[in-house]
Amino acid sequence: MYIIGENIHIISEKVKEALKARDAHFFQNLAVKQVEAGAQALDLNLGPRKADWEEVFPWMVQTVEAVVDVPLSFDSTNILGIEAGLKKITKCQPIINSTSAEPERLEKVPLIAKQYNARLIALTMGASGIPVSADERVNIAIEKLIPRMMEIDFPMSDLIIDPLVLTVSGCQEYCPELVEAIRTLQYAWEPPPAISVGLSNVSNAVPAENRPIINRTYCVMLMGAGLKMMIANPLDEPLKETIRIIETRDDTTPVGRLYLKLHDRVAASETPTIEDVDMSDPEQAAIWKTVQILLNKVIYADSYLQQEATA
Amino acid sequence: MSAEIPKDSWSGTVRTVTLGATPAEGGTRSHVVTVGGQKTLPFMHFEQVAPNRPVVAVEIKDRCPEDWSPLLLEVWGDAAISPAAWAKQAEAAGAHVLVLALSLTGDDGKPTTPQAAVAATKAVLEASGLPLLVFGPGQAEADNELLVAVAEATKGERIALGICEDKNYRTIVAAALANGHCVTARSPMDVNLAKQLNILIHDMGLPLDRILMDPTTGALGYGIEYGYSVMERLRLAALQGDAMTQLPMIVTPGFEAWKTKESKVGRDVPEAWGDWRERAITWETLTAVTLIESGADIVVLRHPESVRRVRQAIDDLMTVPETV
Repeated sequence: MYIIGENIHIISEKVKEALKARDAHFFQNLAVKQVEAGAQALDLNLGPRKADWEEVFPWMVQTVEAVVDVPLSFDSTNILGIEAGLKKITKCQPIINSTSAEPERLEKVPLIAKQYNARLIALTMGASGIPVSADERVNIAIEKLIPRMMEIDFPMSDLIIDPLVLTVSGCQEYCPELVEAIRTLQYAWEPPPAISVGLSNVSNAVPAENRPIINRTYCVMLMGAGLKMMIANPLDEPLKETIRIIETRDDTTPVGRLYLKLHDRVAASETPTIEDVDMSDPEQAAIWKTVQILLNKVIYADSYLQQEATA
Repeated sequence: MSAEIPKDSWSGTVRTVTLGATPAEGGTRSHVVTVGGQKTLPFMHFEQVAPNRPVVAVEIKDRCPEDWSPLLLEVWGDAAISPAAWAKQAEAAGAHVLVLALSLTGDDGKPTTPQAAVAATKAVLEASGLPLLVFGPGQAEADNELLVAVAEATKGERIALGICEDKNYRTIVAAALANGHCVTARSPMDVNLAKQLNILIHDMGLPLDRILMDPTTGALGYGIEYGYSVMERLRLAALQGDAMTQLPMIVTPGFEAWKTKESKVGRDVPEAWGDWRERAITWETLTAVTLIESGADIVVLRHPESVRRVRQAIDDLMTVPETV
């Protein structure tokens, strides 16, 4: 699993304060910590920075590049800011996060990516928003995103399609569809484009104590569908342990065997069943309940783990 | 040509909730009203006949409301100044159950006292044998103060106390628990929050057969499609076996419909809108019937003519065609 570290994100209060103070040490520390924890690239989400983009984006690139040697991903809607940052890149091929299929963005952003030899994350989102169904999301990739790349002769190997993770708390019907979108996108083109998602979005607006299990379980399901790249928290050790279990097929623990079973069920396009689970083990029961909400079989509620399990 | 109608078979059943208690059960009601118990989507009689019919509740107030449409005040007339007279008239108009909505202030402009709330509730119980729901004024502090007093003074009547919301439900649920009442649980048109509130209330120890859920709705033309979809989703989940959504649903189309411009305003509107009274009643009736078709078990109405029409619609919908 190729992890793009998500922790330099303006939504964090600490990041917000450190950015205000231009605290280079804070960002260098956070960058090094993520890379040491296994992040293979770093997402830089600084917000739009309407007032100070000209200074902030280059500053961040220079600050972070001074201590790590991984690709930087510019996660912003501010194209001018992204461009200012791209100009300062000296180490690895950067990533632009992102374009969508909205006409204006799809017109401009790929050209910038091409000009600066950046990889480009393209969202399966059109002018009318994010479609629920997997097929419609895949169609946006095939009919809008990929044709635009071909039109400007953008290397397909630099395209990363993001079929968009939405939260189980409020957009539950999107969750199972994304699994299918990831599955299908791998057959969307030859050679297939890279696929990446923002994993933690699945638990936005979920109480903090329940976020890790939802993230982990969804990660297993998405890996079953073929996901090999994601923006996620590399400091989440249980998440990485789960990824390790899947990647090394470590079946030495009961929970590990359940994760592998879940992964294999999704890979085979089968529906996981309660027979796969030892419900007397609270950890397995919690994973099962989480699968049920992620498949939209049981309506999500903040206290869903307290609810009795259903088959 | 004969065609086979495909039938769904669901694993879940909506719970039943019984409102009111007769003298034999420790109350004073002339009869009880039970809602819920469905094993299929609404009115799919060919799959399974629903054991209970949708119920029409009529909303009355503890004092003559200042913000109600003149059309409503006119039709209820003098009854609107006396909860007892209003209850009698609402029963005569065809109410299956009554909703007594307490006001925030009394006639003197001061906050409604617990004593006044209890007096109004008792007057209604004496005037009519119908099962009763009592709603607080809608402000947490006042709701808790008034509903606790009402719950204690009417112990054993199996009233439904409302309205529990996620920010304020503990006191009301505790009062229901201690005095043998039910509650209504309101969430803002959101399936996740509706389910969560049911879980929270149930966690306090109130059995699920004493909880009605109110998923909130909008009137015709004012978001009814969102309310409809939420109710439909909750009912589907219930039939699929999700225990925390298997509660009967109550909605307030009367409140919603009578705040729309089409119902509220009689002057300076396009002539094509037609007769004001007819339009307002149609608005309330269509809102209510639409929600009944999405699974509402109790609709709370305001105009007696709407009550008549909605009851007629329920009769029609409940008719099982012999041929299917």
